Amino acid sequence: MHIMEGFLPLYWAVVWWIVALPCLIFGIYQLKKVLEADREALPLLGVTGGFIFILSSLKLPSVTGSCSHPTGTGLSAVCFGPWITSVVCAIVLLFQALFLAHGGLSVLGANIVSMGIIGPLAGYIVYRALRDTRVNMYLTVFLACALADLFTYFTTSLELALAYPAEVGGIVSSFVLFMGIFAVTQVPLAIVEGVVLALVFKYIVALKPDILLRLKVFPEEKIRAARSEA
Amino acid sequence: MPFKYRLEILAIIAVFAFCILFLYTTSIMTDAEFAGSDTLGSTQIAEMTGKAEEEFQPLIWQWAPPSGEIESGLFALQAAIGGILVGWVFGYWKGQKKRTP
Repeated sequence: MHIMEGFLPLYWAVVWWIVALPCLIFGIYQLKKVLEADREALPLLGVTGGFIFILSSLKLPSVTGSCSHPTGTGLSAVCFGPWITSVVCAIVLLFQALFLAHGGLSVLGANIVSMGIIGPLAGYIVYRALRDTRVNMYLTVFLACALADLFTYFTTSLELALAYPAEVGGIVSSFVLFMGIFAVTQVPLAIVEGVVLALVFKYIVALKPDILLRLKVFPEEKIRAARSEA
Repeated sequence: MPFKYRLEILAIIAVFAFCILFLYTTSIMTDAEFAGSDTLGSTQIAEMTGKAEEEFQPLIWQWAPPSGEIESGLFALQAAIGGILVGWVFGYWKGQKKRTP
């Protein structure tokens, strides 16, 4: 999902930085509040952040004959919301920009917006819509994770389309072009990522249900039902 | 369906299906390079603007890993950092649970 350094004109690089910065600042503020209220939230942040580190380093082959990597942001979005997730993503993306030449400092804003903000936000919206319904808890996590992954790549495509509208058809046709490169590759990866992270969530429920209850990730009945089943 | 390991089974099936899909892709697309979609995106931009890819210079100076080996090593390092975090916390929780039943 990275936009490579230099491939975004200065104007757009600045625009996406301006979009990303308030979200990051709000995320840092929220993070401080959550950790002050409950120190036991820190290990959970470690797990969800750890999976962002692991999954975003795995470049997997896909049906289009090209490679792409999952994002792993859905789990963090479900547990902590999109703003705190954007802070963790910013750290991962900074690591990749500095040491791996994946992304870069000027395009970091754009990459934070796609992987750290819009993707997790999409996952979070789906999760919030399904949280208090009868929909299975793990299915909710699966959908949130898979959609967070897909929307990250939708956003990357949109960012590139806005910066490089096609001569014929403008932004829309160039969006379709970039979607062909990014999104199609991503579909199988997003499904696998969703299933794997739902499984990870099952282990969190089994080992540390009280932190999920205190953070009000899911209603008590749902977590209790899931535990009595396992 | 109150079966204890249904998520585990589902995950194994998903990963397995993913591998089969990969083998199938390589068998029908023998010329596939499996380049990163990041690179393909950049190539697409170069094609659309009519500029060579080398003309896109970094706006801010950037260190790049000198070879693919070093790059994959650094990627492994990134995954290791994540793995250590995850393993550490799960172990911490497991220990906590044992002490307070």
